[in-house]
Amino acid sequence: MSVPNANALAGGAATPGKRWTDADGLHIDVRGLDPPGPLVAILGLIDALAEASFVYVHHDRDPAMLYPELAERGWVAESIAAPAGEVCLKLERVG
Amino acid sequence: MKSASGMFLAGAGSRLLPPSIPFRFFGAAVACHLLAWLALLVGAEDVPRFAGGLGWPLAALHLITLGVLAMTAIGASLQLLPVATRRGVGAARWPAALWWLYAVGVAMLALGMGIASPRLLAAGAMATIVALAVYAALLARNLVGARGMPVVVAHVWVALAALIVVIVTALSLAGSYIGAPGLDRTTALVLHIAYATCGFVGMLAFGLSHILVPMFALSAASDERKAFASVALAVTALLLVGALAFGIAPRVTGIGAIGAGAAAVVVHVRLMANALATGMRRRLGRSFVLVRIAWALLGVSLVAGLGVLLDAPLDGSSTLLILLLVGGWLLTFLLGILQRIVPFLAAMHAGQRKLPGKRLPPTPSALTADRPLAIHFRCHLAALALLAVAVIADSAWTVRLAAVVGAAGALAFANFFVVALRRMNVTEAR
Repeated sequence: MSVPNANALAGGAATPGKRWTDADGLHIDVRGLDPPGPLVAILGLIDALAEASFVYVHHDRDPAMLYPELAERGWVAESIAAPAGEVCLKLERVG
Repeated sequence: MKSASGMFLAGAGSRLLPPSIPFRFFGAAVACHLLAWLALLVGAEDVPRFAGGLGWPLAALHLITLGVLAMTAIGASLQLLPVATRRGVGAARWPAALWWLYAVGVAMLALGMGIASPRLLAAGAMATIVALAVYAALLARNLVGARGMPVVVAHVWVALAALIVVIVTALSLAGSYIGAPGLDRTTALVLHIAYATCGFVGMLAFGLSHILVPMFALSAASDERKAFASVALAVTALLLVGALAFGIAPRVTGIGAIGAGAAAVVVHVRLMANALATGMRRRLGRSFVLVRIAWALLGVSLVAGLGVLLDAPLDGSSTLLILLLVGGWLLTFLLGILQRIVPFLAAMHAGQRKLPGKRLPPTPSALTADRPLAIHFRCHLAALALLAVAVIADSAWTVRLAAVVGAAGALAFANFFVVALRRMNVTEAR
């Protein structure tokens, strides 16, 4: 699966976060970014996705401020197993 | 674990306070907002040429500065600072106890000022000062060892230093009413006003803007180098105000302070404007119209400050300066930001529980009552404009009209706040 260019949605500014595709779907790693970098990177990615219904997020903390933004877009998040020191979320489009 | 708008996940519990903590501060601020306009109505006769002294105009001013501005800043910083520093504020009992002490202290202080009771004022001042000292300790503990967002942390350290000056000068000014003078009154007054508005609340507003504006606009974080330059310029301005207050080459230090302050504002506002221009969310609605107006009025207040310094031939110019700084800049800014924070936090907290199936949690927009905010918007701006006219025209009746319009706006804002809380609680109870 190719990752659409979310940068266009951010006014041309480079959106941070490493992205890749695995067998289970699209992943984004926003560890180490200061707020609101993770928020911008994750929302920039899902806003640019026309078809994908799942995104896996690798974070170093619980992104409390992400959830209301996800809800506005019709997405929910589920915490899944992750190595120590990492928070892993499975985002799913439901709306 | 299904997390709709956010179940508690690893590490979250240490950073996100229970909703009762920030909302009790915001609720008290909403109440003080209404009380301030009512105090202004009662003391209207003395407002246009207000030059200090006990009475309802002083009570109204402190209901805004302590009751609305500092109350909101404390609630917002306790909730948001841990996001920036990646350190929790610890047990919720301290912020809860702080609220009780602070809210009661501000109520006693305002009433003591209003009915001209030095003893009540002194008792209220002591409670308020102790509460602010507790807050300063909580803040300092959080800042020491902060692990992120150095720009925000630098702003908050400056705000904290300014708070110490505000507390010392408040002790001196309150002491003078019960026969225990400290600093020269003019020196204390200049330091107290400048460090409370531009130092403590102003720097908190600037600092938390580096979290909130990019977060709401969905833009990249501010350029650190420029943001630190703004902090350095603001510190320079505050130090020069200190020299001015102690009578050291007042014209030179005063003009220097305004120049450095203006440069700090220009750098800060340009960073914020860039965040708004490059963010993924371009339409930020009425709240950010208020924020933009507040930034413009901050610039106008610097011009007014220069006018006061150069003895501009305009009666009531000092009152106009306070109106621009406190009402035009800080109050307008905080009310603009508050109307976005309240539904956002409410949505965040309402979604912190397991939802059956894959139901979407409440969204910030679903928790926002728009009509009351539209009424508040018009009333707030009209009330400020009427107050400015009242000061220039020396008209108590225009102050009364402004106070009635402002109170109507405050009631509308309170309606918005109550609706957001009710919708959050209904969602949580389902």
